[in-house]
Amino acid sequence: MIQVDRLTKRYGSFKAVNGVSFSVGRGEIVGLLGPNGAGKTTTMRILTTFLGPTSGRAALAGHDVLDEPLEVRRKVGYLPENVPLYLEMRVREYLLYRAKLTDVPRSRRRAAINEVITRCRLGDVENRILGHLSKGYRQRVGLAAAMVHDPDILILDEPTAGLDPIQIREVRALIRELGDRHTILLSTHIMSEVEAVCGRVIIIAQGRIAVDQPLERLRSESLIVLEARGPGDAIRHGLETVPGVERVQPTHTDGDYAAFEIQTRDGADLREELAQRVNQNGWPLRQLDIRRSTLEDRFIQAVTRETISAEAELEAV
Amino acid sequence: MRHIPTLVRRELGAYFLAPMAFLILLAFQVIAWFNFWELVDGLSRRQQSFSSVRDPLNSYLSQSIPFWIGLLVAIPALTMRLLAEERRSGTVETLLTAPVTETEIVVSKWLAGVFMFLVLLLPFAIYLPFLYYQAKFYFDPGPLLSLGIGLTTLGMMFVAIGLFFSALTRNQIIAAIWSFAVLFLFVFMTLLLYFYAVGQRLEWAEGVRFVAVLLQVQSFGLGRLDLRYVALHLSVAVFMIYLTVKVLQSRRLA
Repeated sequence: MIQVDRLTKRYGSFKAVNGVSFSVGRGEIVGLLGPNGAGKTTTMRILTTFLGPTSGRAALAGHDVLDEPLEVRRKVGYLPENVPLYLEMRVREYLLYRAKLTDVPRSRRRAAINEVITRCRLGDVENRILGHLSKGYRQRVGLAAAMVHDPDILILDEPTAGLDPIQIREVRALIRELGDRHTILLSTHIMSEVEAVCGRVIIIAQGRIAVDQPLERLRSESLIVLEARGPGDAIRHGLETVPGVERVQPTHTDGDYAAFEIQTRDGADLREELAQRVNQNGWPLRQLDIRRSTLEDRFIQAVTRETISAEAELEAV
Repeated sequence: MRHIPTLVRRELGAYFLAPMAFLILLAFQVIAWFNFWELVDGLSRRQQSFSSVRDPLNSYLSQSIPFWIGLLVAIPALTMRLLAEERRSGTVETLLTAPVTETEIVVSKWLAGVFMFLVLLLPFAIYLPFLYYQAKFYFDPGPLLSLGIGLTTLGMMFVAIGLFFSALTRNQIIAAIWSFAVLFLFVFMTLLLYFYAVGQRLEWAEGVRFVAVLLQVQSFGLGRLDLRYVALHLSVAVFMIYLTVKVLQSRRLA
């Protein structure tokens, strides 16, 4: 449903989005995760045709964002950050206005509005003025307005920002419900939100994609922590040559002891093999442990790695 | 273009659901009342001062300083929020991601602004039937019609200028100040320039006279429906609308 190919957006010399590529299939709920200023909103604005990319292509439901913006807009429902609404209008009036703008046929408007009012549980406030509603209700009105024309794709920019815990739970439940009819791309910087709602996560940092994986696989990933006495470089080399080891990261040295974090392919548990290798070389082992990595670990890892490489790039310039 | 009725209705709703439109309307009613009082006063002293009575309706409306100052303040006040407010509150994002073209949006906002401008002229029209039927002052409706047409096309031009400045910024105050400055140049500076040019017997005086809005309206008020002025107003309006559309579209470039 969504194809993004090497999308780049520059503001002057600043690259807000830098060569981002990903694709989202029909019916997926994908979370776009990243720290503030990572380029999430810019990416979404390009996908909804609000902004144009500097280079690269993006197509939604088979329509290119630059060539056929009106077709894209017909297929996409968008909830911008902070949910901008015309505060002087009433809920039902606003939904009717959006239905007319998004070309819902006259005969279906009433039914379409009633349906989104039911789905977003707005029945109690349908005749209230938007400016008098609480943040939670406004968020739901924004969602209702985004889906009144029954779009194939919903793009939601921080749909739970500024809500209280109960409202957050309600909005998340609503998004999960919507997942069976719409393809959803949502952005957030809250880790648990992705875990609660999404099937896949794309971590974006410094305008680049750092991780793009199904949540299942992220959960199964693990990290082995090993500490042994001996020459650091030799131990590191020894560990790297164990089959199945992907990366060995020295963390710190403590006197004669050197500590490492080891990533294995597919998160395999290689503790026994690693222990064997260390013993063979006669390095006394002090610690050997496996840590199931959480999404938060991956996020912090990805974000700090990107930051470091971006800084290195800057220094090189 | 099928979204225009929906968009215009929303725009007019926004005008009348906020106090702004009513405040401006009230101010114009006060100006109209004051001018009418002056007009009646002038008419009752027919023998003493001929100059203003020769052309009472022009002195009632198009040559009255309060009317022009009111207009110069009211038009920026009406147009400043049209696009700047959408940008400030972020609703422009929902508007421009709906299957609506930029041209539809700009034309709708312009139409709503022109409609509000015409509503502003209503307070002046209210008094005319009294003058005609009650005071038995049988003025000629012909020049009045030509003045109406002239003011309408003038309003179309002014609203388009205000709309353009509203598209340039998210700050309503800045939009209002810029539109005021440009409209002020159009109304008063052209007049001063014309007087200067005439005084110096410069040959371009005629050219300035053509764009001097105040003199244009005076000519309309005398019953001369000069189509060159109408063409000037409409072409400036269309050009400003075109520029506004381009400003809105420019966000998708680069």
